[in-house]
Amino acid sequence: MCGLILCAMPMNAQTLTGREVIQKVKDRPDGDTRTSEMTMQLINKTGSSRERKIQSYSMDLGKDKKTIMFFLYPGDVKGTGFLTWDYDLIGKNDDKWLYLPAMKKTRRISGSSSKTDYFMGSDFTYDDMGSRNVDEDDHMLLREETIEGHKCWLVESTPKTKGEIYSKKVSWIRQDCLIAVKVEYYDKMNKLHRKLELSNIERVDGFWIAKNLHMVNVQTNHQTILTISNPKYNIMIDESAFTVVKLEKGSL
Amino acid sequence: MKIFSVIILLLIPCWVKSQIDSIAFKYNGFVDSYHALRSESPNDWMSSRTRLRSEITAEKKNTSMFVSFNAIYNNILDDKTGFFLREAFFRYNSDQWDLKVGRQIVTWGVADGLRITDLVSPMDYSEFLAQDYDDIRIPENGVRVKYLHSSFNLEGVFIPIPEFFQLPVDDVNPWSVMRSVPMPYTLNMDGVPEKKLSNSEFGGRLLVFLSGVDFSISMLRSWNKIPVINKTMSVNMDSVYMQAHYGRMDMLGADLSVPVGEFVMRAEGAVYLDELQAMVMPVALNATLAKNSFNGLLGIDWYPGNDWTIMLQYSHKYIQNYDERIQAKQNAGLGTLNISKKLLQTTLALSSFTYYDVTYNGFYNRTSADYALTDQIHLMGGYDWFSGDKGSFAMYKNNSEYWVKAKFSF
Repeated sequence: MCGLILCAMPMNAQTLTGREVIQKVKDRPDGDTRTSEMTMQLINKTGSSRERKIQSYSMDLGKDKKTIMFFLYPGDVKGTGFLTWDYDLIGKNDDKWLYLPAMKKTRRISGSSSKTDYFMGSDFTYDDMGSRNVDEDDHMLLREETIEGHKCWLVESTPKTKGEIYSKKVSWIRQDCLIAVKVEYYDKMNKLHRKLELSNIERVDGFWIAKNLHMVNVQTNHQTILTISNPKYNIMIDESAFTVVKLEKGSL
Repeated sequence: MKIFSVIILLLIPCWVKSQIDSIAFKYNGFVDSYHALRSESPNDWMSSRTRLRSEITAEKKNTSMFVSFNAIYNNILDDKTGFFLREAFFRYNSDQWDLKVGRQIVTWGVADGLRITDLVSPMDYSEFLAQDYDDIRIPENGVRVKYLHSSFNLEGVFIPIPEFFQLPVDDVNPWSVMRSVPMPYTLNMDGVPEKKLSNSEFGGRLLVFLSGVDFSISMLRSWNKIPVINKTMSVNMDSVYMQAHYGRMDMLGADLSVPVGEFVMRAEGAVYLDELQAMVMPVALNATLAKNSFNGLLGIDWYPGNDWTIMLQYSHKYIQNYDERIQAKQNAGLGTLNISKKLLQTTLALSSFTYYDVTYNGFYNRTSADYALTDQIHLMGGYDWFSGDKGSFAMYKNNSEYWVKAKFSF
């Protein structure tokens, strides 16, 4: 997610490759720690909607990242917690734990396969919600375009390995703040599968953030609107917050 | 003085209000209604109950209180209708300590639906396994303290008065274990250990969470919490007398959980020292027999993607220094297979969970569908299928049932 909600100094496109653009996006400053409340509105093709609310905390440890999420709504998943130790090193599986309050039990889950599953019934995959090593894809800078008055780079990213949910994705990355304002995901048949649009882009605590992410699955007409509220950066939190103990407690 | 007293009296409500205002209250729970019909003659209702589960949390800084209770109306089992306190404990936690005092559920181990090291909280078998597994656990009244470190926890448990399995022995209960007794009987369940300090239960567990592996070692001074029921015939050989026995037992155990790509490998093992064994009939009225047993489990969870989950487990029990008077076999195996798939943007969950008794070739399968009508309302339905001529599932081979359930969460 943070790979899409970014900021940095404007760059000169002529000196950059696709990979360098994506690396800049990944390296954009977003504090060492952060928290926010996320609300996901899941809307099906008939227009009926469901809602999910999550409190999320994360911390950078070098290139790795630890994230803990607590599900706040709806009632049947309230208290469920999800802990991820996300490793940047290619080939090293993430560590993931899921706490199920009804079972009073923490379960270790696979760190690799769930990346391609959709997160809580939304149109975002676990991979979309986490961070991805730049070198897991080949990147090609296609061209520049202007969207709503903002100069953007178009970068096409193609996974290097099989097993990803997309065959390629094309990102429109704003040059002024390095936030991807639009992303198109293509399926294995190279047909457009999902479209992501980011809006309400603003600065919080000196860091750029997109507070509204709208993902549409154009093949099923299911869509998810993810709204980020009350974001805070460089909060006082240490590594002990990202443990199974806190996961089972249900809050930090 | 009078004015001073009045001022104090006026200030007390303000002080109480300020205290309450600083406490964060949370209230949630659910209402569910479950009904099951035997699929073969006489097609009678096996279960019909409606329940309100309430959970209240009050939290202030490092301290909290949690209370959960069930208010149940059960059309089949009168003694299951009423108000039942489930958990009620207070909790203190700091960066290094986590203390829980009160009635609470304790879960150990990595096994799913099988008990190897998970011996603290016993089970309510009123409807055997045809309840949600999280409903079956019986809370214990005790103290649980954890020392917390970033990569390990050290846990201690003390339970002054242990709880024991609740077995269905009432004749009106379709799940009664007495239904398999072919003649008149007398059952004496009075052997529950006395409520004294020397009969307390206590133990500890060290859990380590590392990148790529979780493991724990545990020990528990406990009891065989499922009563061992020994039987003897009357002199005229026309009735049977049954006596429940409970015996002290120690458990030394360990478990392990390792993710490997799309898989998570799980292992759990425990030795039960002096585990009481049920004996073949007839036995002397107060005769008991205790043996050490070795209990192991291997499990593999597969997450192939697209919201599929496949979990396979095999557990094995070996009784050391086996004696022909023991009712169980020296080696006994039990397997489980759980296959689940989420569809329709995870609004529909299909699952099939099977216990397979390797020793006696019997099984219990629960196949179910769970549809989220809204964020709050789930509609569920399924079939419980029992089969077997011997072993733990044999007595329920006529209990296969259709069931439906509706659940509103708040």
